[in-house]
Amino acid sequence: MKTINLIFLMIIAVTSWANDDKYYEQIGKQIQAVYTAKTTDEYQVAINALDRIASAEKTRWEPYYYSAFGNIMIATREKESSKKDSYLDLALTAIEKGKSLAPGESELIALEGFVHMIRVTVDPASRGQQYSGLAMQTFGKALGMNPTNPRALALMAQMQYGTAQFFGASTAEACSMARKAQDQFGISKSQNPIAPAWGKEMNVELLKTCN
Amino acid sequence: MKFIALILFSMISQISWSQTKISGVVRDVKGEPIPGANIMIKDSYDGTSSGVDGTFSFITEESGTQVLNITFVGYKFFAQEVELTGKPIIIEVLLKEEINQLDGVVISAGSFTAGEEKRRTILKAVDIATTAGATADIAGALNTLPGTQKVGETGRLFVRGGDDSETRTFIDGMVVLDAYGPAAPNTPSRGRFLPFMFKGTSFSTGGYSAEYGQALSSALVLNSKDIAEMNQTDIGILSVGADVAHTQVWDRASVSGKIQYTNIRPYFGLINQEVDWRIPPASGEGSFAYRQKSGKDGLFKFFGNVNHSSFSLYNHNILDPSIRQQVDLTNNYGYGNGSYQQSLNANWSLRTGIAYSFNQNKTKVDGLPLNETEEGIHAKVVFEHSAHDQLELRMGGEIINRFYEATRYNIVSDATESLSLSEPLSSAFAEAEYYVSNHFVAKAGGRFEYNGLNNEANVDPRLSLAYKPGKQGQFSFAYGTFRQSPLNQYLRTHNQLDAQRAEHFILNYQILTDRKTFRIETYYKKYSDLIKFNGAPTMLTNSGTGYAKGIELFWRDNETIKNVDYWISYSFLDTKRDYLNFPASAVPSFASAHNFSFVYKHFVTAIKSQLGFTYSYSSGRTYFNPNKPADQFNSDKTPSYQDMSANIAYLPKNNLIIYLSCTNLLGRDNIFGYEYSVLPNTAGVYESRPIRQPAPRFLFIGVFITISKNKSINQLPNL
Repeated sequence: MKTINLIFLMIIAVTSWANDDKYYEQIGKQIQAVYTAKTTDEYQVAINALDRIASAEKTRWEPYYYSAFGNIMIATREKESSKKDSYLDLALTAIEKGKSLAPGESELIALEGFVHMIRVTVDPASRGQQYSGLAMQTFGKALGMNPTNPRALALMAQMQYGTAQFFGASTAEACSMARKAQDQFGISKSQNPIAPAWGKEMNVELLKTCN
Repeated sequence: MKFIALILFSMISQISWSQTKISGVVRDVKGEPIPGANIMIKDSYDGTSSGVDGTFSFITEESGTQVLNITFVGYKFFAQEVELTGKPIIIEVLLKEEINQLDGVVISAGSFTAGEEKRRTILKAVDIATTAGATADIAGALNTLPGTQKVGETGRLFVRGGDDSETRTFIDGMVVLDAYGPAAPNTPSRGRFLPFMFKGTSFSTGGYSAEYGQALSSALVLNSKDIAEMNQTDIGILSVGADVAHTQVWDRASVSGKIQYTNIRPYFGLINQEVDWRIPPASGEGSFAYRQKSGKDGLFKFFGNVNHSSFSLYNHNILDPSIRQQVDLTNNYGYGNGSYQQSLNANWSLRTGIAYSFNQNKTKVDGLPLNETEEGIHAKVVFEHSAHDQLELRMGGEIINRFYEATRYNIVSDATESLSLSEPLSSAFAEAEYYVSNHFVAKAGGRFEYNGLNNEANVDPRLSLAYKPGKQGQFSFAYGTFRQSPLNQYLRTHNQLDAQRAEHFILNYQILTDRKTFRIETYYKKYSDLIKFNGAPTMLTNSGTGYAKGIELFWRDNETIKNVDYWISYSFLDTKRDYLNFPASAVPSFASAHNFSFVYKHFVTAIKSQLGFTYSYSSGRTYFNPNKPADQFNSDKTPSYQDMSANIAYLPKNNLIIYLSCTNLLGRDNIFGYEYSVLPNTAGVYESRPIRQPAPRFLFIGVFITISKNKSINQLPNL
């Protein structure tokens, strides 16, 4: 009996390794697709695939994360405000689902802040106050969970830079934040092979305007 | 053992050997292909996206009975069981459109909504606060919209041939009995509530929901902000006073408080005023707000406000200005409003609230007291039900109990006289909103009211329709009957008077894009049962009648010129009434035929400033000239009213704003009407005196500082 149990355990282990492999292979492919997408259609196809992975894998936060990221990217390309908002709503829904699976994940919170940040761009005059405050607060929360999260640092730097520019104030604070982010982009190596890795280029662009 | 393992392994592999090809096409109800739809076998990796022509094809390794799901934004979720046996499956799917709150049809006849959120709105909450000439007064900003007639000496809202009492203010659904602060005769009053308290404003110039009653012309529905997001302290140093506010935020609750002191004396010391002030107005005010989340989505809100203000002035006799009368006024005001909302289950939600208003005017005319007190309590329960995504039901009941008392000292009888009334009003309402599609919506309902003072029971129907033929333009129609109890000054002597009535017909066409709005609206309003003096002012009846009709235009553009936002509104009004002391049907003195406003806002990055500019025009208003025969009642007209106001908000730092505003830059001597002497002079002529602005211009300077952890926050949206 003991041996049979052992075999069963092994089978389960083997099959779940197989599942893990399938998960990493499939999601890896879609993450690449999201990073390299150039048109809304390409984003949509990748988002759909990620949503399918999310529906099959009930315990993983990453598919939701990248699905949300894809929707944010579409929102940044979209011209019409109401559509922009509806993509951001989709992103937020996905983030909420991810958060329910991984409540302590700093990356999800940073992405949530990113959504608020893009909301501002829809109508800075009437939304600036509410959403820029909310974005900063959310980036702060993400950094509270992981002070070395390079994306939270980089996004916060972007926000600070935009605000400083709007008011014609000094961008020094924003630039030092961007440098801190740059250091972390160099150091941060997550154990998770499919951990978020974007944001470095955006930060490099910001640093160029700093020098 | 190896053998068993082998069998199990081969069983697992076996499953993956059977493959089924699923292909087909996804279309909408009109037969147009839907590209980008997500097609999947539920709980598996297998699936694909539809192509440009709506077609799709994929192979799944799942087997047995599975569920095929298809999703696409803006369309209803599709699910169907499929039997996966290896035999190819071909499926054609029609996705039904979801009823869309963002882009779909909305009823817009008679209403202007100003929200901050994603729904496209004509005005944003911040627009109300930053309109030049409005000096952060809600009524001031709304007076730049079509449907309003400027009556500059009152500062109040007059809508479509209605007087100021015909507009009623509601906060979170609860009635406010006296929404304006006290003011001396013929000087503008300010609203008691500041625009920054509210996340959304809905200003209806007619045809509004059955949820609201006791307003003949207009409902101003203000929705207060939810839980505050961050701790902050705001300090304002103004040319007419100072205020300090603090907000403290917890996880599920927030508290904010504000104290304000306003004293216009130093200002009036510098700038000469038309009014002969003995002691110019001063007031102290405190307000408090508390928000608490409860359970999953319950929200409790409390708002309270107390105010004490006073002034003293001299009224001069028209025939002999050296004869003067001293008028002292002290006003005490309190308002409390608690509301709670929560979903009961997936389809039902509840809103409930209780509000209390207290308003007391203590007047002394040459030392003789005349006091007026009004108290009101309002309790309300509303249930909302989404039967399905196309049908919304709303029903509820409310009780408004009002108590009013006026006392005065009678010098002849050497006794204090008192007049009072107590009006219990119970109402119930029900309304159904049905979305036939994203192009057509109908809303029908009714309001039942029982008035315990005169024992009258009535039902008022309401109906509105909207049709959106294309992507942008839409037509709306609204109809309704509305009733309102007569003013306290009439009701206190004649308790049995009926409610006054109005009937509205409104037709509207509107094009609303992201950053541009065009709107044209026409209406007809019929008044009946208005108060009429039957011979003498002490003989009151409900025999007054009247009408108002007009056409209104609105254009707003926030797109063509970068950083510039402007709007233009024009209203034409044709109205006559036969009420009060009118000998025949005549144009009332608060009505002007043509009203025009131009509002311009420009953010200039180079000087870190927001500039605002407003031009207003109202054609002449009628006034009563006792020297004219009765058949020429109200036939005289004042010159037109014109005002050019400007403001500038300078932001030297993220958390500091310096604000400067000036009304009537050109110093035009606007005349609002004429007062006549009570008795004729020795030559038998009634002498007149023009009603002017208290001063040609009103200049306001303020410095606003915000202290918070987050330095990007400032008070700009509050101005």
